[in-house]
Amino acid sequence: MHPPSSTARRVLNGLSKHRLAFQRRANSTAVEPPPAGGHLPGVATSQLLRPTRDAALRTPGIKWKDEDNSTLGGRETRKMNTYQAVRDAMAIALAKDDTAVVFGEDVAFGGVFRCTMGLAEEFGKERVFNTPLTEQGIAGFGIGMASMGHTAIAEIQFADYIFPAFDQLVNEAAKIRYRSGNSFNVGKLTVRTPTMAVGHGGLYHSQSPEGFFMAGSGLKIVIPRSPIQAKGLLLGAIRDPNPVIFMEPKILYRSAVEQVPIDDFELPLGKAEVLVPGEDLTLVTWGTPVYHCETALHVLRSPSEELESLIPASVRGAKVELIDLRSILPWDMETIVESVNRTGRLVIVHEAGAIGGVGSEIASEIQKRCFLKLNAPVRRVTGWDIPVGLTYEKFHIPDAIRVVDAIIETLTY
Amino acid sequence: MIRPASSLARRAATASSARRTLATTARRCENLPKSTSPIVSKLNFFNSVTGDGTQIPTYRVLDGSGKPLEGAEVPEIDEAFATRMYENMMLLPALDNVLYNVQRQGKISFYMTSYGEEATIIGSAAALDMEDEVLGQYREMGVLLWRGFGLDNVMAQCFGTSEDASSKGRQMPVHFGSPQHHFHTISSPLATQIPQAAGVGYALKRDPARRSKHIAACYFGEGAASEGDFHAGLLLASTIPSPTLFLARNNGFAISTPSTEQFFGDGIAARGPGYGIDTLRVDGNDVLAVLSAVRAARQRCLTQGRAVLVEAMTYRVGHHSTSDDSYAYRSRGEVEERKRVDDPSGRFRRFLEARGWWGEEREKEARERAKKGVMEAFRRAEGVGRGELGGLFEDVYEGEQPWNLVEQREELGRLLRKYGKAWGPWKNELGKFRGEGRDVMGGEGKSA
Repeated sequence: MHPPSSTARRVLNGLSKHRLAFQRRANSTAVEPPPAGGHLPGVATSQLLRPTRDAALRTPGIKWKDEDNSTLGGRETRKMNTYQAVRDAMAIALAKDDTAVVFGEDVAFGGVFRCTMGLAEEFGKERVFNTPLTEQGIAGFGIGMASMGHTAIAEIQFADYIFPAFDQLVNEAAKIRYRSGNSFNVGKLTVRTPTMAVGHGGLYHSQSPEGFFMAGSGLKIVIPRSPIQAKGLLLGAIRDPNPVIFMEPKILYRSAVEQVPIDDFELPLGKAEVLVPGEDLTLVTWGTPVYHCETALHVLRSPSEELESLIPASVRGAKVELIDLRSILPWDMETIVESVNRTGRLVIVHEAGAIGGVGSEIASEIQKRCFLKLNAPVRRVTGWDIPVGLTYEKFHIPDAIRVVDAIIETLTY
Repeated sequence: MIRPASSLARRAATASSARRTLATTARRCENLPKSTSPIVSKLNFFNSVTGDGTQIPTYRVLDGSGKPLEGAEVPEIDEAFATRMYENMMLLPALDNVLYNVQRQGKISFYMTSYGEEATIIGSAAALDMEDEVLGQYREMGVLLWRGFGLDNVMAQCFGTSEDASSKGRQMPVHFGSPQHHFHTISSPLATQIPQAAGVGYALKRDPARRSKHIAACYFGEGAASEGDFHAGLLLASTIPSPTLFLARNNGFAISTPSTEQFFGDGIAARGPGYGIDTLRVDGNDVLAVLSAVRAARQRCLTQGRAVLVEAMTYRVGHHSTSDDSYAYRSRGEVEERKRVDDPSGRFRRFLEARGWWGEEREKEARERAKKGVMEAFRRAEGVGRGELGGLFEDVYEGEQPWNLVEQREELGRLLRKYGKAWGPWKNELGKFRGEGRDVMGGEGKSA
């Protein structure tokens, strides 16, 4: 496929401006749509976000959790970024479930990422409260409450600091139901934590520890990519009868904005979502890299002048199937297998290092199940097996160009 | 403040307000912000919780011969209650005797006795409400006996039979649990129950039906108290706060490590004031002192809604477990001497006899009844057998089973069908399960 000519581009620009104006008149709740052609879409301009009410209400897999008693026109949405959507989910949980409490370091004043803004004022200090600075204590406390059938929503301030809680989460939370012969359980425990790189976090504000917990059978792990996903998946996680670790990509707290349904809804755990259908290659990722992958697809389709010579014409028309895994444990093996059986090629992208990363588990299962259908080795694009060094972040965290490179390599194998 | 008109007046006003500000500032420096800590000009290090360099005292009611100490207040108990306590203090070692030997015979894989700690455990159990939530470490079976858990349930868990409601055959012996008896399932990692108990206490506080009625009671040894979870748990229960009673069994050993190698401070009790909580050290071998102490501690816990710490000083007469031979690190002489000098049951028996509540006849009868009950439960448990093999895969997740577990169950089924009769270790083991693994091999009728 050839990139549009300058004339075509002008026409396209004109058309989209017209569309823009029309949208603005017709729907005043719309977020600014992305500019047409030529730009590298970042999160703010991602086509994967749902900036209109209609698009939001059409989110696949939405399960409404209340009666629709909305007035004419259907359910309402409101512009929210990711931290507002997370906050909204917790407010609904607190409002509907008297046993629900939210606790962690600094949550009372609103939280270091504002995810708990106003919750203490709204629901009281007995239900939204600070804990002393002790992750193992936070996790243990949450486990204790959940064992009594109370909905415990714990916050670990940064995923980088979740390790003191590892014993409580893996030795206790994950195993309580099994070891007690199902006489006790901590299904009502949810542990939320900001994760992934933010661009300036260095070693200890950038980690993606989902790989460590993937081996904690008995736990579930969920990673949302956007405000709608965050709200629906968090409500799903809180209500799931198993302990869930909910990892929120922190760079998306402010930068991802959507129209989010204000009602109570859930999205399914354990199910991946196909964001862009394709047939030539399967691209699987989760969290922040979803947007780098989107950018990569754009670069592949219409590379800039500087990149044109580096991207063979033969691959520019490739239709890549982009999948957001969403749940790391259990992970949606069936969706990935079905996709790779069609495309014959798989690229997995994640910020965490290669060795022992979630990608290694996926690659192993896919090579087993799709062995004869694969036309190329399963390729992983990951952070290096190195701590995240501050000034090196741009060369450490996988970005769009590395995804482009991996796609090209896999397509031309 | 009305602004003075003339400049002279203005200057005077400024001067007096400046003086006022200076005086206020001087007053404010007497204490640090947000603190009532007095300011002193003498450099003086302190290192004592009691303030005078002495160790924290130990509360005791009965002397070594079971006689109440001068000035001691004997707790309110009647004959029925007292003898019930004593009989449980007899039943516990009777049970220990049998199960220890049963392990030695290879019939169960592991066991932990409570020798020497009967007063600590039964005394504290008797002081709690039957519905107080108990989170133990592993040497608190006496609490379950007190609460009527029953010998059959003990045997079922130790033998891992189909009647093992505590763990469905999944845990080593002594890992009991029972929601009906408000006893949270024991887990091997030490001290993990401590912050969990803080959460359990908070849940009780939040529950309108149980607030101000029940507490969480958390047991742990002096060794486990070295874990970070101890600090986390006491910090949370003291600060949030939650009505959690922390009961430290200081029995002198953590496997082979004597308490002199476990901490340098004045035991576990010295840590309580560090968290700002009411603390008591009690003679753990004096069952009436333990009863009084825990009753009082429990009451404080309820009224304050905050953590309380009780350290019970006792002695681990037995080995750490059946995997331990404690004579490798302490002399038999030391153990025999301790047993002779301070036997918690004997001490209490003498008290009961002095009251006319006990005698040799009752002793003989009770001892025989305990032994008989244990042997009956043991023989019965020997004949029960394990549940189905499929229990291996259940209860990991609630709800829809993840594909990996479904497939792994099928995989084991395939392997059993293929090798189950030919491979010795599996062939022998399958026979122990009800259905001999057919539920997993079957292919159809896979339970979720």
